[in-house]
Amino acid sequence: MPEVVVSIGPHHPALKEPVNFKVVVDGEKIVRLELDLSYNHRGVEKAAEQRDFIRVLPLMERVCGICSHSHSTAFAKGIEELMQLEIPPRAQYIRTIIAELERMHSHLLWLGVAAHVIGFNTLFMWTWRDREAVQDTVEEMSGNRVHYGMNEVGGVRRDLTPAQVTAALERLPNLEERIKKYVDMVSSEETMLIRFRGVGKLSKEEALKYGTVGPTARASGVDYDTRKDDPYLAYADVPWNVVTDTNGDVYGRTRVRIGELWESLKIVRYCLENLPEGSIRVTAPRNAPTGEILSRYEAPRGELAHFIRTNGTDKVERVDIRTPTLANWTSVAICLVNQNLADLPVIVAAIDPCLSCTSRITLLDKQAKKTGVMSLDELIWRNRSRDQEQVRP
Amino acid sequence: MSVLREMFENLLSRPITILYPKEKVPIPGAFRGRVAITDEKCIGCSKCSLVCPARAITMIDGPREVEFNGKTLNRKKRPQVKLYKCIRCGLCERHCPTGAIFLKNELSSSGTDGEIVVM
Amino acid sequence: MTDPVSGLIYILIFPGFLFLFLYALFLAFLDRKIAARMQQRVGPPFFQPFADFIKMLGKEVIDPAGVDRVIFDAAPLVALAAVMTAYLYIPIVGNSPLAFQGDLVVVLYLMSLPTIVLFLLGWLSRNIFSAIGGIRSVTQLFIYEVPFFLALLTPALMAGTWSISEIVIWQQKNMWFVFLQPIGFIIALIGLQAKLERTPFDIPEAETEIVAGPWTELTGRRLAIMDLTVDVSFVVGSALVAAVFLGGPLMPWAVTPGWLAVVVGFFLFLAKTLAVLLILSSIKVATGRIRIDQLNDIGWKYIAGASIVQVGIVLVMNYLWVYA
Repeated sequence: MPEVVVSIGPHHPALKEPVNFKVVVDGEKIVRLELDLSYNHRGVEKAAEQRDFIRVLPLMERVCGICSHSHSTAFAKGIEELMQLEIPPRAQYIRTIIAELERMHSHLLWLGVAAHVIGFNTLFMWTWRDREAVQDTVEEMSGNRVHYGMNEVGGVRRDLTPAQVTAALERLPNLEERIKKYVDMVSSEETMLIRFRGVGKLSKEEALKYGTVGPTARASGVDYDTRKDDPYLAYADVPWNVVTDTNGDVYGRTRVRIGELWESLKIVRYCLENLPEGSIRVTAPRNAPTGEILSRYEAPRGELAHFIRTNGTDKVERVDIRTPTLANWTSVAICLVNQNLADLPVIVAAIDPCLSCTSRITLLDKQAKKTGVMSLDELIWRNRSRDQEQVRP
Repeated sequence: MSVLREMFENLLSRPITILYPKEKVPIPGAFRGRVAITDEKCIGCSKCSLVCPARAITMIDGPREVEFNGKTLNRKKRPQVKLYKCIRCGLCERHCPTGAIFLKNELSSSGTDGEIVVM
Repeated sequence: MTDPVSGLIYILIFPGFLFLFLYALFLAFLDRKIAARMQQRVGPPFFQPFADFIKMLGKEVIDPAGVDRVIFDAAPLVALAAVMTAYLYIPIVGNSPLAFQGDLVVVLYLMSLPTIVLFLLGWLSRNIFSAIGGIRSVTQLFIYEVPFFLALLTPALMAGTWSISEIVIWQQKNMWFVFLQPIGFIIALIGLQAKLERTPFDIPEAETEIVAGPWTELTGRRLAIMDLTVDVSFVVGSALVAAVFLGGPLMPWAVTPGWLAVVVGFFLFLAKTLAVLLILSSIKVATGRIRIDQLNDIGWKYIAGASIVQVGIVLVMNYLWVYA
């Protein structure tokens, strides 16, 4: 068969969020992939410039539903560092507990979605059933199953009562047992093994060259975790390990994520048992001093970076969000070449894509009434200086 | 093997689905539900209106004498919340000095009528 | 077949088309309920497939631009007619009144017609997803048909007849073929799962990859008829396996009053088809979907190989014991 362009998206049963893949296929083998990621652009960065530090945190939370605490904490952390605030240890521990609970629910969700993508709906139903235990815990602590609203600049908003701590600790042993069963299942279930092994292989050099982050990179042997290399919150006090794997394919990424589930459970248990006493917030000043800061955070999908520039007022001048999914899309385009068309959803699901996080850039052409994206050459051309001779691509 | 065993154990036991509305889930105390205002406590400071991220709270005319910290205040305005614009973030509850505006435990429904307000 | 009135009742009402319609939808419900309970969910109520069928008959039929409307309307009906005809040759309450030498071959042929129809529909919908789905559907047909046919022909070899009803009578006198040819039984079950396009062989309809494959452009009453065809194929396939391997509607000893034999045979038929349903549903719940090239690998190496081994064993057994 000659080369055919199969257009997957923006509406497709395999996609949770709109994205356009133009896959060039030769029979069942993929030759090339072209991405259009701008469908979920909502103008969050501009909206953040018009809200003061109390009103901007709910906005940052709502960048993404699954990693909402990540965005809100990364932003609050950056502003606190600019203001040179020292937040009390009890607040750090509470933020860590919510962060790791979020990581657990995100990885359980991912496991279900990965199973659904290969048609193994049973594992999908079971992992989402176990995820309910995590959601119940978070609802008791913060009042909502997503968009927890725990952060404010200067600390956390709510305290954890002893009853909530006990209830959370009681749910953990059952989750531990279920996670052990999933470790077993993934390494012995035949259809999962033959669909995941050898699919989407990414070597360590390629992972480093294309800027892959998160479990996708750690599955290729890159030992990089922002929580260990640039510690924040309470991670320096808690004993835990970074999970890496050498397989580099989708099977390796599955093992890394299940390993991280295990580690997160240990961190949550340690923090709940050793919660320090004290206040949960300090009063933050109204304005932030002038400065720039890069705040990094290990979201469930990888390293999240917020670049914040302030100018002495009570609003930010510019916030730029570089999400982990944006860094991982290149690796998808690389490891898809010469794979089967049937493996496309598996490889895309293996980086745990979150399009709401990714769509930060879109081009609007008012005259032609079109939207679209820009190539790297065009971006370089637009940023040329006056004395550089360049042809418009 | 573990998959097969679990499958047959599940076949012989009850499903874990909670059959709402016949069975109900206990709502935790910290749940952020529908917004509500206790008129006797509000001193009209407008803080809730200033911190609301969705700009769902407007201050309308509402003179009343209110007791606060042992003193009697003459308030001029009181808040009015557009119910379906409220995102239930709880910032109004956090910043209210008297606890007059708060989020209840009951579910806040959704709808399309933008004019429905809570006073 | 002496009496045309009783013949018409057999074909149209019981155990003919009306019973087939109701039983097919009932088995579809049971399949979904068992799968749901295994996943700790509640599952649909018993009338769900009936309600779905009636609802879909009333929905709007959308013709994509440039598509041949006549073939799109006729093809699902051809598929349904084929499997309904195949049902008539299978012993349900006793011997089928339409039995003749070679009806096993006719049933197997008629059961492959729905897959050909799906390929045709996939090719004719002017849609890349349907074309890919149609090609996968026919590729899968080539892979599983050879082992499936061989597994169902070895009992005919041993019983020395080409008629399903006589195979059932042979099993009543000797032993069920599931004990004599266990490899053949397993291959027949795998082949049936692949014919019905259920997980792990639901490659042509892979929802997360190619929308719905050849089913994408079927809407309204066409989708209702095609869905009913798959449900009826399930009944026909499991009845065929039950008749050829599990002894059909006959017990190892004869039951004397004629009407009692019919009742007992009916209940045996129900029990055996439900046993096959339980096995097939468990396979569906316990596995994920495999790729078409992996199916190619496994199908030709292991399944076809095992079926040839089974034929060899049967020939040796025939020479040594059965016809010695």
